[in-house]
Amino acid sequence: MKARNGTLWLFILPGLILYSIFFILPAGSSLLLSLTNWDGMTYRFDWVGLKHYGDLAQDPIFGKALSNNVKFSLTVIIFQFGLSLFFAILVMKNTKLNVFYRTIFFFPTVVSSVSIGFIWMFVYDPNIGSLNLLLNSLGLDSLARSWLGEPNLAIYSIAFVQFWGHTGQVMIIFIAGLQSIPKDLYEVANIEGASRWNAFRYVTWPLLAPSAAIVLAYTTIQSFKSFDLIISMTDGGPNNASEILSTFMYHQAFTYYSFGYATASAVVLMLIIMVVTYFQFRLLKADRVVY
Amino acid sequence: MIKKRSAIALSLIIAFTMLLAACSGGTGSNEQAGANGKKGDKQTINFIHWRGEDTEAFKSIIAKFEKQNPDIKVDMTVYSSGDPYANALQAMILSGEGADVFVSAPGAQFNNLLKSQSFEDLSGSPLLENFTPELIEAGKSDGKQYALPYQLVYNVPVYNKSLFDKLGIQVPSDWDGFLAMCQKLKENGITPILYGYDVSPGQLINTLVMNNMPDKDTFTKFQTGEVKATDPWFVKTLEQFKLLVDKGYILKNATGTKYEGALALFAQEKGAILAAGSYAMATIAKQNPNIEQGLLAPITTSAADMKYEGIHTTTFMLGVNAKSKYKEGATKFIEFLTKPEIASEYANATGQLLTVKNVKYETKELGIQGQWSSKKTVFQPRLINTNKKIETALNESLNMIVSGTSVEKTISTTQAEIDRNLTK
Repeated sequence: MKARNGTLWLFILPGLILYSIFFILPAGSSLLLSLTNWDGMTYRFDWVGLKHYGDLAQDPIFGKALSNNVKFSLTVIIFQFGLSLFFAILVMKNTKLNVFYRTIFFFPTVVSSVSIGFIWMFVYDPNIGSLNLLLNSLGLDSLARSWLGEPNLAIYSIAFVQFWGHTGQVMIIFIAGLQSIPKDLYEVANIEGASRWNAFRYVTWPLLAPSAAIVLAYTTIQSFKSFDLIISMTDGGPNNASEILSTFMYHQAFTYYSFGYATASAVVLMLIIMVVTYFQFRLLKADRVVY
Repeated sequence: MIKKRSAIALSLIIAFTMLLAACSGGTGSNEQAGANGKKGDKQTINFIHWRGEDTEAFKSIIAKFEKQNPDIKVDMTVYSSGDPYANALQAMILSGEGADVFVSAPGAQFNNLLKSQSFEDLSGSPLLENFTPELIEAGKSDGKQYALPYQLVYNVPVYNKSLFDKLGIQVPSDWDGFLAMCQKLKENGITPILYGYDVSPGQLINTLVMNNMPDKDTFTKFQTGEVKATDPWFVKTLEQFKLLVDKGYILKNATGTKYEGALALFAQEKGAILAAGSYAMATIAKQNPNIEQGLLAPITTSAADMKYEGIHTTTFMLGVNAKSKYKEGATKFIEFLTKPEIASEYANATGQLLTVKNVKYETKELGIQGQWSSKKTVFQPRLINTNKKIETALNESLNMIVSGTSVEKTISTTQAEIDRNLTK
């Protein structure tokens, strides 16, 4: 048995080596780097201990980035989760029309985030953008806004683009989950006189929990790590109104040459994602049903 | 037993194959360049810069250089200006390969590259004689010439001269005249000042402060705490800018408009002044050749108190990587760029004034920019500050005003950010 286990270990060795080289080592060195004042340009640095973590706690831009990240992530999680589940239920059956709709919904996923960012930047442009032109032509001038220019609006405008681009992607996970639920359970629920809502509440939702857990964790991590969309659309502006943790990290490292400080913020980001994901999994595990 | 050994061997082979495959990615171009460099003693020098719009001009110049120097090949790589260029340069400088000749901007970028000892000292090189000496000061440190600014830019807003002539507006020479000019433009349904939130603040702040700041070195003193955003001259500057915003002289929704959008509006004649610099003129001329352009700086004082008419910057600073294997070839390439006939070709193809002597400027836009050489200008204050975080805080103060923040709040936020980042 021991020899067999040894052989099995050898089979996971390639993956383990790669994972160690490309994840564990960089993550470990990041922890060390966050304790230095390395500027990213020279080979010289001094150890500064936990100074960067103390500075982060007092940095109003980091605080703003964290708060923006929460707003952005919550908006994306709520809408992306809700809409993808809604569309998945609508197009779950394998009819020709549904396959066509699935393709349409999935299409934005194959376009790169930067391209999506540039397209929406033109849509949102306050002077020549199609969104304001549409609102004006409908007589809704009062609703026309500087979508990316108003500090209180910018982060939500980008969040909309984020879930517009990825709802189709996570919808596929829900469709797979929905299709794997045995039909007999719905028949039983029907015989027992369950309403459509009750069938969803007591049959669909518990059995969909594993898919929901994946969608929730994926959407959370995706929204916390969202970077290319924000960089291409606003670069964190105006006045840091759309700065989130990943763009904060990037600006500290590559604009201000504060690699040590940037790495400290990366460690904080990693910890946040770990904690949030852990609680999400625990929450959804409680609802899970085994059949 | 055999099965076990096979499994071990197979695992190790897979592990190392994947590792090698992973390690081989991403460095293709550099390895190729290195291989080319050694082949038959032919040097391949890498030239990296940020001006994508100059690619064709450089290709033609490189072809001529390679013809004259058959033992040297020049590989040019262009990155988008700003962060993408800085990131690429940073990676290359750290690796020691891939950037034999590179360009840098004065200020924080030059300062960081100096700290990393990236520049070969070019002091005493004969190629320095090709430059106007006072225009390459920005590439000096401790009396040594580390980089050679190639372009001369006037960071003065561009205005639509045709439109001014049509409306009978004269270029104002004081603050009251500037306000009256804006009002007349507004009354004629034209947005007086087009502003892109990503580029304009870093440009406009220079002309707004040039006559308000106590001396030309004031901006360096922000980073040591000797000068503060709460100082009366800076408060006055922001109040003047706030007045422009409140009176509707700045593009509506400016915080949602990028530089390219503002430039497009200028080319469509929807605005009279573009808060940018002389570098924009060639692009505007391509988009709308019918616009006669000029440069117009807001004079924030009375005509009698005016110290400067505008701002100049010497930038696109050419440098040789101190770690380059081909320093001689790299220096030869820079020398070639500074030959009057080559510099003239570059200037006329790209619409850029140069710091090189004896250049023949032939385009209309270059003629207009050339007239500014006789005017009293000061080096871009923003860039004599070498602390990037403080520079950003000062630039952002204009964006805060544009987005409706009060002068008091803007000043307190700006000074707080400066205080947090003072150079110790």
